[in-house]
Parts: sequence; structure tokens; C-alpha cells
Amino acid sequence: MQTIAATIRLGTISLLAAWFLGFAFAPPAAIAASPTVESSNGESVPDAGDSQSDHWSFRAPQAFPIPAVTDSSWPRQPLDHFVLAKLEAEGLKPSPPTDRVSWLRRVHFDLIGLPPTIEEVDAFLNDSSELAYERVVDRLLASPNHGERWGQHWLDVVRYADTHGFEVNTERPHAWPYRDHVIAAFNADTPYDRFVRDQLIGDRLGQDAATGFLVTASVLLPGQIGADEPSKRLARQDALDEIVVNVTQTFLGLSVACARCHDHKFDPISQRDYFAMQAFVAGVEYGDRPLETPEFLAARARAESLRTDLAELDRELIRFEPLAGSGRRRPAVNARHNLDRFTPVTTDRLRFTVLETNRLEPCIDELEVFHVDGRNVALASLGTRVTSSGDKNVRDRHELRLINDGVYGNSSSWMSDEVGGGWVELAWDEPQAIDHVVWGRDRQGKFDDRLATRYQIEVADGAGEWTVVADWQDRVAAGESIETGSDAEQKAEPDATERQRLELVARKSDLEKQIETASQPPLAFAGVFRKPDAIHLLNRGDPEQPEDPVGPSVPTIFGGEDVTAGLDPVDESARRTALADWIASPDNPLTARVIVNRIWQGHFGTGLVATPSDFGLSGLPPSHPELLDHLTLDFVRGGWSMKRLHRQIVLSAAYRQSSAINPDAIAVDADNRWLWRYSPRRLEAEAIRDSMLAISGQLNRQMFGRGYNLFNQRGGLSGFTPVESFGPEGLRRLIYAHKVRREREAVFGAFDCPDGGQSAARREESTTPIQALNLFNSRFTLERAEGLADRLVRTAGDDPREQVTLAFRLTLSRQPEPDELDDAVGWVAEQGLATLCRVLMNSNEFLFVP
Amino acid sequence: MTFNSPDRNSPSGSQTRSLHGRRDFFGQAAGSLGSIALTSLLAGDRLLAASGPKIDSARPFAPRPPHFPADAKNVIVIFCAGAVSQLETWDYKPELIKWDDKPLPGGPAVTFQGPAGNLARPQYPFRQHGESGKWVSDLIPHLAGLTDQIAFIHSLTSHSNTHGPAENVLSTGSILDGFPSLGSWVTYALGSESQDLPAYVAIPDPRGVPQNGSNNWGPGFLPAAFQGTTMSSRDPIRHLAAPGIKPETDRAARQWLRQLNRRHADLHPGEERLAARIASYELAARMQLSVPDLVDLSTEPEHVLRMYGADDTQNNDKAAFARNCILARRLVEKGVRFVQLFNGAYASGGRLNWDGHSALKEQYDVHAEILDQPAAALIRDLGNRGMLDETLVVWCTEFGRMPFFQKGAKGRDHNPDGFTCWMTGAGIQPGVSHGATDELGQRAVEDIHPLYDLNATILYLLGLDHEQLTFEHNGVQRRLTNVEGHVIDDILA
Repeated sequence: MQTIAATIRLGTISLLAAWFLGFAFAPPAAIAASPTVESSNGESVPDAGDSQSDHWSFRAPQAFPIPAVTDSSWPRQPLDHFVLAKLEAEGLKPSPPTDRVSWLRRVHFDLIGLPPTIEEVDAFLNDSSELAYERVVDRLLASPNHGERWGQHWLDVVRYADTHGFEVNTERPHAWPYRDHVIAAFNADTPYDRFVRDQLIGDRLGQDAATGFLVTASVLLPGQIGADEPSKRLARQDALDEIVVNVTQTFLGLSVACARCHDHKFDPISQRDYFAMQAFVAGVEYGDRPLETPEFLAARARAESLRTDLAELDRELIRFEPLAGSGRRRPAVNARHNLDRFTPVTTDRLRFTVLETNRLEPCIDELEVFHVDGRNVALASLGTRVTSSGDKNVRDRHELRLINDGVYGNSSSWMSDEVGGGWVELAWDEPQAIDHVVWGRDRQGKFDDRLATRYQIEVADGAGEWTVVADWQDRVAAGESIETGSDAEQKAEPDATERQRLELVARKSDLEKQIETASQPPLAFAGVFRKPDAIHLLNRGDPEQPEDPVGPSVPTIFGGEDVTAGLDPVDESARRTALADWIASPDNPLTARVIVNRIWQGHFGTGLVATPSDFGLSGLPPSHPELLDHLTLDFVRGGWSMKRLHRQIVLSAAYRQSSAINPDAIAVDADNRWLWRYSPRRLEAEAIRDSMLAISGQLNRQMFGRGYNLFNQRGGLSGFTPVESFGPEGLRRLIYAHKVRREREAVFGAFDCPDGGQSAARREESTTPIQALNLFNSRFTLERAEGLADRLVRTAGDDPREQVTLAFRLTLSRQPEPDELDDAVGWVAEQGLATLCRVLMNSNEFLFVP
Repeated sequence: MTFNSPDRNSPSGSQTRSLHGRRDFFGQAAGSLGSIALTSLLAGDRLLAASGPKIDSARPFAPRPPHFPADAKNVIVIFCAGAVSQLETWDYKPELIKWDDKPLPGGPAVTFQGPAGNLARPQYPFRQHGESGKWVSDLIPHLAGLTDQIAFIHSLTSHSNTHGPAENVLSTGSILDGFPSLGSWVTYALGSESQDLPAYVAIPDPRGVPQNGSNNWGPGFLPAAFQGTTMSSRDPIRHLAAPGIKPETDRAARQWLRQLNRRHADLHPGEERLAARIASYELAARMQLSVPDLVDLSTEPEHVLRMYGADDTQNNDKAAFARNCILARRLVEKGVRFVQLFNGAYASGGRLNWDGHSALKEQYDVHAEILDQPAAALIRDLGNRGMLDETLVVWCTEFGRMPFFQKGAKGRDHNPDGFTCWMTGAGIQPGVSHGATDELGQRAVEDIHPLYDLNATILYLLGLDHEQLTFEHNGVQRRLTNVEGHVIDDILA
């Protein structure tokens, strides 16, 4: 096996060789990790050490000198030296530069996922300066479409979806703020270490939506989990497992899931390490959290000032209330809200006495006493003291202190200990000028027992004498109408006073609605944080077989220290912060390497490490280890800027190569691991759909917000009927669709769209007849073809040659060849312009990144 | 199919078989070893070389050799969603009659849906059938008549007592969403004998999608080519034809596209994926032609329609399910590798599937009427046509039900600790019953088999070693059977 590995350096080939020789039972890791990788100057680089802790990715990146190359005119970026040195060492030559149009399409699809417009093609072709390339790249990196393109790559990895998954697959209506956060962060070029921190502890960093990362997985909702305790424990374990898996594979490129049940077979991750990782996130629950966005904070501030207006209105309205004891009949006592107005009086004590209830001991929810200036002076927070005849206490539900705590509802109220009676008394240090009292049994209106049906309100004078200011006696009986006066009185048109009152009431209702709206924070499915669960090592991963308790610590291979030492053991956010500190550190050997590799993969199709979420012992070793380390160190030095790395890559000579096949090169390096050409790729589902919309002129470029529907429903268990024909909302980019987990989009899902079940660190590129049926026959395609045909007529007029030429330029960024033009004009005459458009949208030239 | 199997019960059995399989592969591959090693193996299909099959991207459904000679070429899975009670069907428990309406001493106070009630006798009489004298309930008289052909496994267990995760376990081997389904693994390994139909077809129940929806036929992280294509006798494949487009325009468009693509391919010599995509349009065109004939059941003789119950005018659901059964047979006749035939729809309080929590007998009367005659006719029809020699039929459900009723209800709660599935056809020993539950039918106690074993056995019958059929995903060589799975030798012919 050593011999084989020495002569054939690629992991995959040695695997095959080993297989033939009968080593198939050896763990793939042992085989994949064993090949020696030669450095570009021919020296042997210790790739995977003998012991696990020597594994290349667990060691800090090293600074390698920029290698010398024979053809020194080729490199455009430092990274090109590494690529060329490897090619030269392999006896290969790079391919010549590709044509300008191919490069432009390539960089457009890679950076923004949309084709260049005709104007952009012309501008680039007419810009003879060497800076032309840089200008294009800078324009694309500044485009808001960039975040839409690269946000999708990220969402693939974290298996984002807008439903909860599993059988019921209910809508997760507030998931999309996370999707928007990712797009915005990529557009803003948020430094990656900061981006990582936001994902883990955004709640502490003013990026609440970012922690949606923690809870992107499928989860069983309470109603779906069995009523038996083992079912609940298993569901919680599954939910925590998904978080650990997401954190480790996304940021660290480590698969630790196996260690839930047994020590990892290949990587140095023990079961204890696994549960120590769980302990970091053991206080995370799947749920919505209010978002304190700047918009919301502004709205809430506005609501505060509206409340002042409301108090003003209330003061104006109070004068329309009948005075108690004035002889006018007053409304019956009701459980929710009663107002007793009296002639202003100055007092330092007020007593509310219950004389009869509809049943049981009386309960009073919030006793409010209003100053003539409109303030509620009963509030305990103002220092008002309260005493009573006796209390029936239920902790935090019925207590005397809850009668004037400013919180409405039965669960924050006072209950007397006497059936049918009892009193409460409020006392102030300073006498108060007051003119009305508001009280109820349950101000939220859910309870109507325990209601004081007979009562009196008294105030004390300086001598301590009590005077009744209001009581039940002038109130009508329950169910009785107030208007017992003459019919004439009832039927009369409202007089001026009544009209004034009604107007004020209407204004009040409007104000209340505004305040209600402004006080509702937007929600994000970004996790709810609470006291962490006690985490135990579970024998065979079985929640019914708990063993030792395990605290949060990083895996032993990385030091294994309890990074939360000294912190409050129940402080949930301290745990996540410790985790974030460790991951988003330049000293973490994996974090920067993993993202650098993901970005490389996004441009070349394959990463320098071909297993982008596995940098462990069973992953493949890097094809260019020095290059990966060089880029990683440079990335960290450059402030973790992802856009800077994109720029270096797409402006490189390696990226600018032609994709044409060189028969000599393909004979020795068929999968282009040494980058002797640019590997063409089929566009992904999103890029195909978005591009069809763009060229037909129908793309709705509205960004962000709630997703549009791909199906007849946004979640549920009874199946999904696809939308066939979309309105303007559905003509937005596919990243803005409401993503139903497990339901692939009906036309483009077949182009290897991940379904949000498991992470897709890299999309497969399959070719199937179902793709062909979908793209050729779907109403979506036919409508885009019609749209493009309309655009051709609008823009190019009646001349078929102009129309065809424009169709080629829009779709393929080139003029038709003369014979193509002649043919196409003939076809169009027979089958119509829309058929030409349908064919072009199905063509390989359109569907492949050149 | 013969295979001189070593003693299946010896620990070395499976290894010996695997070595044989590898030599077999070596033999086939040796002729083109030079080219394989450096070109095709590395082209496009990353890392499949570890031990997975080599997929030709131009022909993803091309038939591929199994690991070792196979008994079965095709599979039909009859998937009863909602968890069929073993106690009302195949697992005869006379003790339960004695214990009817008595509490289970030491039984659980609370199960999946809530408090447990008293033990409840089987809701249907049982009688013996065939030469094997198998006890089967009167609920399913047509299927009961086939017991001499069937191998029952009475001792299956699942990892979950919740429908969604449990249907995941049955279909994908994982509790979690997003893992490849059995049919995807099979077609990934073996391709298909049909080149103008999808390799893998999922036929939902006429009443709706099963409880776990498309995750039952999802490709997970395998290439999308291996996703199950849904179709039924009522709803053929989506996008089979372009709406409102004349056939001659369609033909012209296809010809024009071919011309454009060929010209483009000529400018990019050696680019295999371009050829693959051209081929995919040819295949799509063939599907467009063949599927309408396939779903047109008017060409079936009347006695066949009658045998399946497809002519039943009184019960539309039964007739529609019967037509799906005929479709399943036709698909296999055309060489489709894997067909999943669902009986039972989404969660509906047991109204549309086998989830009999509250009114089990009332609901099972309805469901069995739909299942029984058509499914039995399918097996008989396959047998009559000699197709059972190469076709494996699997009847399965995600878990079983408790021997007691739920408190205050006339139905049984979820029970993942002991339930029955069965197989018949290619490679199966007819008329055997393997494993057993306790005397009340609550837990598997004899020859206990997690569902991994069922899947390992299905793969085995297709000539696949479940330990060798792998796909690398995020650092793990994933298998249908995770790190578990044993072939259930006792039911093999």
C-alpha cells in the first residue's frame, strides 16, 4: 500500500488501488490520509502525521515562502505562484487565458449568480485597460446581488429552511430574518470572525437574527413529541445534536455526530468530547425571539410619545364619565373594566371595600387611582403602599403586591381570603388630588367569577375620617340597560357633547392601535436562551442511559480545557461566548482554513480540500497545502475579509484560464486537481431560474423579507401542490422563496437543490431526464420564453435578424455566427420567436459556466 | 439465481461473500483498468470510488453490476403509512383474548399519546391459512390467502415512536431528515433496466401523500438523479408535456436544441457532461412517449382489472389504489428498478391511514378494504407472469401498536418495540415466520431485528452488501444501515 501511495499521489486513486488489492476493509481515512503530498519545490511535506494530533488541519497554518516558478510571466496574484509551481512540478502547463466574454460570464455567475447585461458585455469589451478586469470585479463585489449569490452557498451548508421539518413540516414563519442577515452580512463584507461570532452570540452583539444559525435544523414541535418522558428526552437530544453538528461541520469542518453514540472511528473526537460540545449549547431552545432592530426601537420610542397623547385623551374623556352619586345611572359592574369618577378630592389614603361577590373570594386585578393630571398614582413603583383585610396567596399569581404592579391579568392580581368580602387600602406619603378609580376582576377579560358586585370606595381626610366617594348603588344590575329614561332621549341625534365624546373615543381607539402595532417587536426564529440542561455522557447515545455529567469544553485534541472555567455555571450566554471565542480566533487552526476553502470551492468547483466539511482524518488532504495555508494566513492578516479573498481569486491567472480540454493534461489529471484549466460547471438551480428571469426582463429585484410561495401552502402535512405560474412576487430571486423543507422546487429542485434536511457543503451536479422535462416543458420556462420574446420585439422591432441577434446576446452574451443567424431566422419564421427563446434557455451554452 | 452461499450463520459468512463480490468486480473492471484508474473514475463523480458504484453521468440509470450475484432484480415496496397494528393483522395473540379489558400489570402508565388503558383483544377473529397453517386475521382475507408464499418477520423494532422520524428510519435508516432513501441507494448502486422510465418510482396513495411525505423517496445527499419520481395512475409525471404547445413545435424545438447543443459540444471536445445533457433530453423525449402508454390502463384485460378491484365503482379509493397496483406491475415489467407503493396518507386521526388511536376497528375496516384485494392481486399477478422470480415484494409499516387501548379510546397507541413486516418473491423462503413478540404482542423477544436488518436484507437480495454500499458525506462514509445491520438469513430461500 505504501508503494501504491508513493507512486500515485491522489487519495482517490490510492483508494481505488487499495480496493483492488484487498484493502477495502481498511478505514477509508487510513487510506486517504496516507498519501504523501509533495510540495511545489519537490520536497516532501509531512501531510498527515502518524499520530492524530499531528494531523495537518489540527496544526496551525504555516507561512510558506512564495515559490519560485519557471514561467514568471504567468502569475497575476501571489496565489498563482503556488498553483504554477505545482503544475510545473507535475510537468503540466496552465491553459491559455480564456476569451473575455467567457471570463465575464464566469465571474458574473460566480460572484452574483446572474449573467452580464449587453451593456456590461460591451463596456468590458471596449475597456482595453488592464484595469478592466478589476473594474468588473469591484462592480460585482459591490452589487447587492453578491450577498444573494453567496448567501445561498452559506444557507446550503447550514441547511436553512422555512418549515420545521419532519412529518408535520409546519411553517416556521420567522426564519427569514436569518436568511436576510446572511445576505446583508455578505454584502457588507462583515469580517468572517465577526460573522461567526454573530451566528453564535448575535444576541449579545446587536445581531439578533444571526443566531438563527443555531436553530436552522428540523425539529419536532411539542405536539409531535410523545407524551412519555423517554420520547421527550430523545427529542431534546436530537435537537441538541443538530446544533452541535451544525457548529462543528460549518465552522470547523469536523464531523462529530458519530461520537454521539461511540468514540469517533477516525477522528480524535471522543464521546466525552461530543457531549462537552453539547454542553456549550445546552441552554438553546428552538423558538422565536423578539428582534430589537433599529426600526423597532424607533417605533417603540414613538409609541412612548403616543402614550403621552393617549393619557391626554383619557383626561379629556374622563369629563364625559357620569359622576358617582350624581343621580345619573351608571353601567353595571363588569369583570373587565370599571371606572368610578368622583369630584376631585385630595387625600393620602383610599380604601376599596368589597361587600358582595358573584361567587367565592373577591379578586381584583389592578386597582388604578388617577391624579387629576391623568397619572395613575396607585402604582407601587411610585412608592404607593398597600394593605388589606387579608390575602389568599398563590405565589406570583395572587399576591397583594400584584394589585398595583401595573401588570394586567388574572395571573397578576390580588385575592381576598374572605368569601364575598375584604378590602385593600392605598396610602401615599404626600396627599394626592384624585378624581377617578379604575378596577376590574381580570383586565384581560378571561375570568368573570370572584367579581365584586357590591363595593364602595372611600377616602380619608386629615382627621382619619372616611368618606365614600363612589359605590355600587347607582350602578344598574348586570344585564340591565342604562337607558331607562324616555325613548325620546335615546332616539335623539347625538348632541354636540356626545359628538365630541365620540370623536375623542375614535381618536383614542386609533391611538391604541398605533401603539399596539409599534410595540410589537418583529420576531426571528433565532433561538430562545435559558438555563442550560445538565448534560451527561450517554451510553451509546441513549438518553435513558446517562453516565457522568459533562461540562462545556473544547475537544481534547484542541487542548480540551474547560473554556468556561471561572464563569457562572448556569450562565447560558457565557457558554456560547466561550465557544465563539474559541472558534472565531486566529489561533483556531480550522476556522479560517475552512472558510477559505469554501470560498475557493465556490469559484473552482472543488476546494483545495475536496471534502469541504471534513478536515478530519477521513477527509481528503489538501491538493495544495502550502497554498491553503498561505491564503489562510493572508485572510486573517487581511481582517478576515471575504470580498478581498474573492477578489484575489477571480483576478488570478489560475481563474482566468480557458476551460478547453488539453488532451495531454487530462490524461494525467482528469479531475483537474492541479488546475491546468478552469473546470466548467453546470449552473445551479438558483442561477438558472434567476438568469432566465433576468434575460426575459421579468426579474423582480426586490430584496429581503418574507418568502414568496412555491407551493399552495407554506407548511403542513397534506402534501404540496407547486405554483405553476408566478405573479410578480414569485419572480424574485429563488433565495427569497419560502423554502419548504424536504420539498424541492417543482422545476429547479431536480437540479440538485438541497432539501434542507442535511447540510450540503457541496452540491452534486447530476444530469437527469427529469431536469430536461422540467426545463423544457414547464410553464415557468414557457412564460419566460414568452417574456423574452416580447422583450425582443419591444427592443429590436420587427426585423427577425435583429430579434435573433438580440436573443443570442441576451442569453449567451455573444452574436450568432452568420450561419446560426440564418438558421435561426428560418426556424423563427416557422415556429415563432418564443420557441427560439425556449430552446436557448435549454441550451448547454446557457446552462454552463464557461 | 444461485449463489453457493457459505454458512450464513457463521461469523465469517458475510466476509466470504464480500470477498467473492470484490473478485467479481475486479474481473469486470480489469479489462479497462488503465483507463478507469485515471480518467473516468475521477471525472465528475467525486469520491464515489471509495467503494460506491461508478456512475456514467451520461447514463445515470445504466444498469450496474451488484456486489455479488443477486436473487432479485426489482423491488416493489408496499408501504403502509400510519403504523399498522400487528395485533389486528399478522401477529396472532390468543392470550390477549383472555386478558381483554384487564390492566397490564407493570405496564407503562403513559405512552406516546397519553395515559394507557386496559388490554384489548384483537379486534378481528383469526383463522389458519394454507399449508403453513398461518394464523391471520379476517381483516385481510385476500392477503391471508397468500401466506404460503410469504416470509414474515414478527420481531422488528424501530428507534422512534413518532411517525415522521420512524418513517425516516424505515425509508432512510436515520431518524433525521435528509438522508437518502432505500430506493435511492438501490438505484444509485444498480441503475435500472429501463432507459425510458425513471429508475425509481414512488406512487402515493390516492388519498394523499404518506406521513413523512417526500422524505420517503428523497435522495438525501446522493445525486438528484436517484430521487424517486412520483407518479400514479391518476397523476403521471409532472412536466411530461409542454402545456399549449403543438406537438410539431415541440418536435422542432427539440431538434433545434439538439443542433445548437451539438454545435456547442463540437467546440468543446471531450467535455462529457455536455454529451450527458444532450442524452438526457433524448431520454426525456422517450419518457414523454412511453409514460402515457404506461398509465393508460384501458389496455388491461377486464379480468385483470376485476382481479385487482380496479373496476370497483362503489369504492373509489380502492379502485384508485388498485390502478396504482397495476401501474406498479407495469413499471417493473418495463424494468424500473424500484417501486414504492404507498397505502395510507398523511396524519388525519387515523381517517386516511393506519394510525388507529381512537376508533381502530371502524377505521381499519375502511383501510383494509382498500389495501387487501388490490395488493393480493398484485402479488398473484406477478406470480402468474413469473415475475416473482426476479421481483422482491416487501410489505412494511413504520412501527406497530400497543396491546392495550388508550385510556378512554377504542384504539391503540404507537409501539416501536415489536411489529411485523413481510416479504415475498425473489430470494425469499416461502411460508416461514421468523421472530416473535411476547405473548401479548408488546415487545419483540425472539430474534429481535431493528429495521436496519430489514433494509440490509433487501439490499442483500439485490446482490448488495450493505456495508460496502457507501457514499461520502461531510466526512462520513454513509450507509443505509449506519454502523448496524444484519441480513436476516432465516427468511432467505
